[in-house]
Amino acid sequence: MSHSPKDRRPKLFHLPTSRRRLRGDIERELRFHIDGRIEELVARGYTREEAERQVIERFGDVRFVRDACEEIDAMTHRRRELGEWRSALARDFGHALRGLAHRPAFAAVVVLTLGLGIGATTAIYALLDAVVLRPLPYPNASRLVYIDHPVPGVETNARWRMSQAGYFFFRKNSKAFADIAVYNRTETTLVTPDGAERVRAAAVSGNFFDVVGARPMVGRGFADADNRPNAAPVAMLGYDFWRQRFNSDSRIVGTTINIASTALTVIGVAPPKLQLPDYQAQVWLPLELDADAPAVNSHYLDAVARLRPGVTVAAAQADAAGLTSRLPEEFPRAYSQGFMRDSRFSVLVTPLRDIVIGGMSRTLWILLGAVAIVLLIAFANVANLFLVRAESRRREVAIRTALGADRLHLAGHYVAESTVLAMLGGLVAVGLAYGAIRVLVVLNPSSVPRLAELTLGWQAGVVAVALALGSGIGLGLLPLTRMAPAGAQVTALREGGRSQTASRRQLSARSTLVVAQMALAVVLLAAAGLMLRSFYRLRSVQPGLDASGLVTFEISLPWSRYGTRIRGPDGYLPVFRFHRDLAERLAALPGVTSVGMTQALAIKDGDGCALVFVKDRNYTRETAPCVGNVLAGPGYFATLGIPVRGRAPTWTDMEQKNGAVVVSKALAQRMWPGEDPVGKELRPNGVADPWYRVVGVTGDVLTRGLDHPPTEIVYYPLIPMEGAPLWSPPTRMTVAIRTRDANPLSLGPSIRRIVTALDREVPVANVQTMRAIVDRSTAKTTFAMLLLAVAGGMALVLSAVGIYGVISYTVNQRTAEIGVRMALGARATQVGRMVVAQSLRVASFGIAIGLVGAFATTRVMQSLLFGVSPTDPVTLGGVTVVLVMIGALAAYAPARRATRVNPVEVLRRE
Amino acid sequence: MPDPDLDLLRGTLDLLILKTLSWGPMHGLAVLRWVEQVTGQRLQITEGALYPALHRMEQKGWLGADWGYTERNREAKFYKLTATGRRQLATELSKWSRYTEAVNLVITAQGAK
Repeated sequence: MSHSPKDRRPKLFHLPTSRRRLRGDIERELRFHIDGRIEELVARGYTREEAERQVIERFGDVRFVRDACEEIDAMTHRRRELGEWRSALARDFGHALRGLAHRPAFAAVVVLTLGLGIGATTAIYALLDAVVLRPLPYPNASRLVYIDHPVPGVETNARWRMSQAGYFFFRKNSKAFADIAVYNRTETTLVTPDGAERVRAAAVSGNFFDVVGARPMVGRGFADADNRPNAAPVAMLGYDFWRQRFNSDSRIVGTTINIASTALTVIGVAPPKLQLPDYQAQVWLPLELDADAPAVNSHYLDAVARLRPGVTVAAAQADAAGLTSRLPEEFPRAYSQGFMRDSRFSVLVTPLRDIVIGGMSRTLWILLGAVAIVLLIAFANVANLFLVRAESRRREVAIRTALGADRLHLAGHYVAESTVLAMLGGLVAVGLAYGAIRVLVVLNPSSVPRLAELTLGWQAGVVAVALALGSGIGLGLLPLTRMAPAGAQVTALREGGRSQTASRRQLSARSTLVVAQMALAVVLLAAAGLMLRSFYRLRSVQPGLDASGLVTFEISLPWSRYGTRIRGPDGYLPVFRFHRDLAERLAALPGVTSVGMTQALAIKDGDGCALVFVKDRNYTRETAPCVGNVLAGPGYFATLGIPVRGRAPTWTDMEQKNGAVVVSKALAQRMWPGEDPVGKELRPNGVADPWYRVVGVTGDVLTRGLDHPPTEIVYYPLIPMEGAPLWSPPTRMTVAIRTRDANPLSLGPSIRRIVTALDREVPVANVQTMRAIVDRSTAKTTFAMLLLAVAGGMALVLSAVGIYGVISYTVNQRTAEIGVRMALGARATQVGRMVVAQSLRVASFGIAIGLVGAFATTRVMQSLLFGVSPTDPVTLGGVTVVLVMIGALAAYAPARRATRVNPVEVLRRE
Repeated sequence: MPDPDLDLLRGTLDLLILKTLSWGPMHGLAVLRWVEQVTGQRLQITEGALYPALHRMEQKGWLGADWGYTERNREAKFYKLTATGRRQLATELSKWSRYTEAVNLVITAQGAK
């Protein structure tokens, strides 16, 4: 009875599927009940009407009962469906795990390949996220902008910062900015009973904290009054510095600390994590700003502003441009019309984030593209493996289909298997990405900003899981797309185990994957190759100095005792004596061959831009060229190995203040083309003051980095000429020592001992080799080159494996055909050649497509390249050769196998 | 005639249905008739209580349901006891007897002096 023939519900679903079916069943059930009751009463002699009335009366509200039952049934239905779905899932996954355990090699290859691809992508994504995507660590950071002044007339791409007068003018008159703050990143000296120490300092305007949206953690913050000249000397401490050096002691507020031999009152502590854009300050100091000072064309202030609500960057730009055009009328002495015209002085409002990230954004996006290509190649390899498996499973699929499994069931089965593998791959990926990021943080490439913020965040985790899940489902559905339509399943069964050749469709699918792989590999290898060529080009550039065997360090003499600007012959004596004594003592160290010092070390420091007036030329302030000016002490050129034609100034020259200067070759060529510059005269200003005399010409030095052209520089002595305008006594110097010691850094302790003996309040900082400085100037190229090379290597290996797999498989499939050919007299070499030719055909097809792709895409790398064109024929040719060789090599082993086919055995097997 | 004083006690409906179905698969109307017949019409179950109870017990897995035909070839939904239902019946029975015993003890006890 319970299993009557009319039991029409399919076993798979125990309940009617739709709500309407549920309701219909309940209505039938209740109808049966009511009808039965009525018949009962009619049989007892009631009239039909009377019976119906009585039954309905007793039953009550039929609709209410029906609705109550339907509610219950709907819930039952939902529960059962969930349960069924769950058990199907568990069954599929259990099956998948058991199946994979039987094929550990297949599983391992898939997991590792996917892990590699996803891991690389995740790591680079995490990097991109930390450096580029995440907002700067300020509240509402997207409203912060940076303001500076492009001066293309002075030098292409040159940008001057804000001037003091400009700051006050902008702050007062701008309508677009809620407020503008200025800051300088600087270093200063903290003197404690234990000695002197260099600390990173932020010098800021009083409103800096308000503009970036921070409040002091302890005590008070700066106010505008603190910026005034002659304001009481105060300081704030950075949070970490306060914690580490002062044990988070709040009582520090109100006491004084010795900064550069001046007693500063500590007024507060900055909040945790507050920093200048990408600069972790240990001490915060007020800038000295004077609103009443005469305007000077001196642009030394970084300016950060908060946009007024609703104001766009473009609107702010327009506002700032309007103010900038008013500078000549407001400050005619500093910003003459001639100066504005010649320098093409303008203003640029840039989101602060872009300033901090700089050019790294493009590099990281390119790297993400590169690892995405690696992922695609990895995916193609795995897809190939799945296709091969699908091939070997055709019988299994045919049988299952014949037994009534529908596509949905098969899909569930395959997707379960591939998802298990892909998720394991994702696990490997997260591990790899974590490791890669740790390595990156430890290596700390100086070219990458915000690296302190780099962690493997949840965003990267989401990317890894999404990629793994996507790959898993995609790979699982792949065999289904290759599954023949229903009718053809029978053919598969009939073919039995005897099918020697994979159907053309199967083979072409795999070849297509390999072609795509090859094409992607070409693009990636071209990118890596171009970076490699740039790197070597950069490495082979002669910086114009000998970086080996050099150690450098920085000193900073307390301004209060060395820097006082005394007019007259003795004002520079304390500094001068200190430097000379230091040089003499260092030179006496064993192994040291020479010592030199400068205010701005080549490659490490900028060389500034100052006007130069050459004698007998008609310059005005507006037309005089702006060139680098550097104070260099005796021995500087000899120590760095910079050749000097003529002679370099000595201690005696400087003591006599005879105005002997050295100019760089680039400057000499522009000022006195075809003439001997030695003996020519120049000066740093236009008024009638004594002329400095050129006594020597240096070789060209790439002071701004290896990827910049040689600089035009005048090297002035440490002490200005008698009667000439003065410059600040050079209290901050970088000292260079040339030593015969194989490890120049071993001089460190001796250096510190000597400096401390001369003055215990003078700190030694940044002891490093010149080699490290030169390397750092190429860090951006090195970083991109290394990562692209790693990605390129991965792509190469993966695509080699991919093409090998397909060729090898084809040879296996064609064993019978090869046997027949050999039985018919084909020679082994012919057979081998046939296999290799097939491989090369596939490879060259991919290479051709890839070259087109490379031509189209490498252009985005232009700004990363040095000395090579994005379509450099040598690189593209080299990549082609490498991949053709890969194609041939991948075919080598399968070809050998093919030539060893024994025709007799093959034919017997048939 | 139904005895109006014998309103179905709370919680006994499940017990009645389970016990009735322990004799074999029945449709809802048969369950109702059986209870009326056995109690000589003294106990009446209303349809408004019976059907939601049947469906709820089906959801709990105590009852299975299948469509079938009556002797008079009418299509009806037959309920039968599942293994879980049988265990539930045992539980309910013992609960019922413990309950009536307790109530009996109270109503037959001698008054306290």
